[in-house]
Amino acid sequence: MRQALKGYVVYGDHLTSLLFLALLVVGSIMVHSATTGTKFTSLAPRQTAWCFVAAAVYLLATLIPYDIWIEYSYVLYGLCIVVLVAVMLFGHAVAGSRSWLILGPVGFQPSEFAKVAAALAGAGYLKDLSQKVIGLREFGMLCAIIGLPMVLTLVEPDFGTATTFLPMVLAAFFLSRLSLGQILKWAGVAVVAGAVLFVIGWFTFFKPYQKERILTFVNPGTNLRGAGYQVHQARIAVGSGEVTGKGLYSGTQNRLNFLPAPHTDFVFGVIAEETGFVGSMALLAIFLALLARFAGTILLARDLEGRFLVCCSFAVILYHLVINVGMVIGLVPTTGIPLPFISYGGSSLIGLTLFVGLAANVRAHRFLR
Amino acid sequence: MIRPSPDASLPAKAAFLKVLVWTVFILFGLRLFYLQVLQGSYYRSLSENNYTRNIVLRSPRGMLLDRNGKVLCRNRVSFSLVMDSAKGGSVDDTIAAMRRILGFEITRAEVTAAFHRSPVGSLAVLARDVPPSWLQKIEAHQQELSMLRIEMELRREYPYGNRAGHALGYVGLMSPEDAKRLELKENDPFIEVGKAGVEKTANLRLMGKNGLRTAQVNSSGREVVDPNLRLPSVGLKEEPVPGKPLKLNLDMDLQIILEQAFAGETGSAVFMNPNTGEILAWVSVPDYDPNLFSKSVSTEDWNALVNDPGHPLLNRPIQGAYPAGSTFKPFVALVGLEEGILTASTVFSCGGVWEYGGHAFHCHSKGHGAVDMLSAIQNSCNIYFYHAGDRIGIQRLDRWGALFGLGQKTGVDLPGETSGLLGSPEWKKARGMGPWYPGETLPVSIGQGYLTVTPLELLSFYGTLATGGTRYRPRIASGPPELLSTVAISPESLAVIKEGLWRVVNGGGTGKGCRIPGVDVCAKTGTAQVVEASSGKNTYSLEKGERDHAWFAGFAPRNNPTVAFVVMVEHGGHGGDVGAAIAKAGLEYLFFGKNPTEVQGPPVPHAPEQAAPSPQVPTDLPLEPPVPEEPPVPQGIPATVPADPGSPTGAAP
Repeated sequence: MRQALKGYVVYGDHLTSLLFLALLVVGSIMVHSATTGTKFTSLAPRQTAWCFVAAAVYLLATLIPYDIWIEYSYVLYGLCIVVLVAVMLFGHAVAGSRSWLILGPVGFQPSEFAKVAAALAGAGYLKDLSQKVIGLREFGMLCAIIGLPMVLTLVEPDFGTATTFLPMVLAAFFLSRLSLGQILKWAGVAVVAGAVLFVIGWFTFFKPYQKERILTFVNPGTNLRGAGYQVHQARIAVGSGEVTGKGLYSGTQNRLNFLPAPHTDFVFGVIAEETGFVGSMALLAIFLALLARFAGTILLARDLEGRFLVCCSFAVILYHLVINVGMVIGLVPTTGIPLPFISYGGSSLIGLTLFVGLAANVRAHRFLR
Repeated sequence: MIRPSPDASLPAKAAFLKVLVWTVFILFGLRLFYLQVLQGSYYRSLSENNYTRNIVLRSPRGMLLDRNGKVLCRNRVSFSLVMDSAKGGSVDDTIAAMRRILGFEITRAEVTAAFHRSPVGSLAVLARDVPPSWLQKIEAHQQELSMLRIEMELRREYPYGNRAGHALGYVGLMSPEDAKRLELKENDPFIEVGKAGVEKTANLRLMGKNGLRTAQVNSSGREVVDPNLRLPSVGLKEEPVPGKPLKLNLDMDLQIILEQAFAGETGSAVFMNPNTGEILAWVSVPDYDPNLFSKSVSTEDWNALVNDPGHPLLNRPIQGAYPAGSTFKPFVALVGLEEGILTASTVFSCGGVWEYGGHAFHCHSKGHGAVDMLSAIQNSCNIYFYHAGDRIGIQRLDRWGALFGLGQKTGVDLPGETSGLLGSPEWKKARGMGPWYPGETLPVSIGQGYLTVTPLELLSFYGTLATGGTRYRPRIASGPPELLSTVAISPESLAVIKEGLWRVVNGGGTGKGCRIPGVDVCAKTGTAQVVEASSGKNTYSLEKGERDHAWFAGFAPRNNPTVAFVVMVEHGGHGGDVGAAIAKAGLEYLFFGKNPTEVQGPPVPHAPEQAAPSPQVPTDLPLEPPVPEEPPVPQGIPATVPADPGSPTGAAP
């Protein structure tokens, strides 16, 4: 144990830890700013508490060698599947989707944990391979592992969260030995299948608000109220921050209620309004450094399953970042996907913390046999 | 330390991931640079537009009071529905949402028209006097109805309804044309400007000036005070200046007595203090209710007023020009005396008809015999005045007419005054109607032919007689007397005319219907012909529309007169009947107070005690008449005034 700690001090991924800590601090402050004086005031201390929990979880995720995590991956995965099914049957509905599990005073969204469990299970599957190569069959298997919780999440139905499983499929793709031709072929198949599913979905299970969001994105002028109103107000919040921002706790769009969901999906709007271009770019730089670090870790990882874990972390966090920030600055349509480590919400924070912790874990234990 | 041989393409893949991350970073950075640096000030102004609202501090329009302090016009609080196009959104969607949420029907064309009417391009008043409950409904459906808001405004209310409506006038929302005319630049669509009556002539005094405050509001439009947000643009910008109240010379009790005395007849009556020009009563019937205009008057109501055969919008004392009839005769007599052409003892013989230039000029009598000036005035003998006019000639009549202001506007402080006509050879020539024939002077001499007067013009003449030559500008609004001119009249001539006028009433003359024991009323009757008198028909046998106009004009008391009056009843028959009765009712009130029966034996037909409702409880005014295009009006003001969009803090506590 002592030895292990010493090893961690020497080889640990301290840069990742530092960046992660910075994100937690930013998140705590911004949720506080976004909730002060609103009916959500009580959420800020809760988020800070969650940040402490996240720090602890991070330590566990990064200190316990990932081989051990992988060893228990099937158990974790199975547990998550059971809980997802349970949630589907007995879950607590929020905004029309049964995605919440209430345990005493705390509510969980099991799908956030199922994501990391799926990544671990995929790593476990790869570990047990005799030939450490991801061919078509292996890729199909990984897709199945990722797809099962994703489908369960989709039928909750929580469309936004379900899509956050997809980056892991891309991660698997990325690490596979499938040739570019094959990748393109399958990608083509995926695009066609996606398009077909989209069309089917449009006429069957997409909810009106989801359709409205897509339409609003395609043509923002049509609907200045509703979804268009949110996009419009978010853009005003971002733009009006100008170079240095209006100052913490002084964003008018935020504090006077013009910005929708300022402590959750649109928290980046608060950051952009109150800290301006300088603050927004600083935050993006933290994410840039973190993700670039993961890209470097892929090269250093000692085995395929480690690489897969890092790749999954990279893909999931980048996806969250692109979709969330892109939504706030008006580059992608509105979806309910949080900004990692900043948006209010314990489940998402802990789930993503596990991803970062495991990625740091892979780097820290790159020499361990 | 065994490293399994990694995928050979791994370094390239890792590099690709780094490029991917950098691409996202740069792309987002560029987007943020565009939004925050390049477009930053634009979005800052949008955010300021979001949270600042200019709240107009409405200043109340000045009240109107009668000479005894009775409230003739006051302000009441009303809720109005406003559309703000600057808020962004679809007008069509808002129209649909209004129908659904508020149950309020309005067409796209009506909305467009409302924007055109507004002096503030982006704000349109869609409905006035809406239920206060709409305030909550609009707030509850903020997203759909974001273009709408409810504003409190102060609206004119005339507690006496129709009474003195033509003198008071009415107000309307300021139109872009009004704004131009008054050289006002306003940010408020609720500015009311006078459109008629003293409301119009005293408009600038009554109006006051709106103040302005910039408030910080949240997304629901509620004002928010947040110490964290130190916004320099928020605060009081301009203090509101309330309009000044205006006291009028009108005596509302007299006004009501006179209006009731008309008893459905059409016409006008004006009572004036000749020594100051103060107008004590201003009757023009049929009339209208100025409150009707204070609601946004509906098209049907407007058409009903305009197309009413009685022309209720006509301000008859200054907009109706009629033949003066026999009320003109004292003027002719006075000119004759002053010019030395006639004396009081000049006698002409009346045989009922006078052949002149091949024409037969009739008297209303079969023949008065030998008539001197006093009996000619007393009995209103036409033949006497034909002779008199013939001797005096049109030039002298014209010169004296100009001195007395005949054929000219009196300058009363009411809009839309017209003048009568005093025919002259020059006037006739200028109109291309040929030379003036001596035979044309004869009808003028009895107040017919090329001679018309407005009732106020005639009153001004009798007022000048009452003062012995001093003319004051007639005024509805109180203030110091304004001397117009002084006509030099010899006391001897004046005494003769006064004696004649006294006899008309008190000597068994045509005006005996106005005889009031204890008051020396001097007056002259007049019967302006509508149908040729030569038809020989008794005026009462004619259809109402063909009957003669009845005049009754004069002053009282004979010595040191305190009141001059004119009564004009269209198609009223003989002035000595209906006109004298109306004047008598007014004079009895003025000289004996509200209850003449206590002073005098015979009861008066117009019971004044029921004629004078207190202004607090008007008996004839529906305080909140429904406006056709609008839902039921609120009954009063809620106890708590919601602190909300546009609360007129200028008026609210």
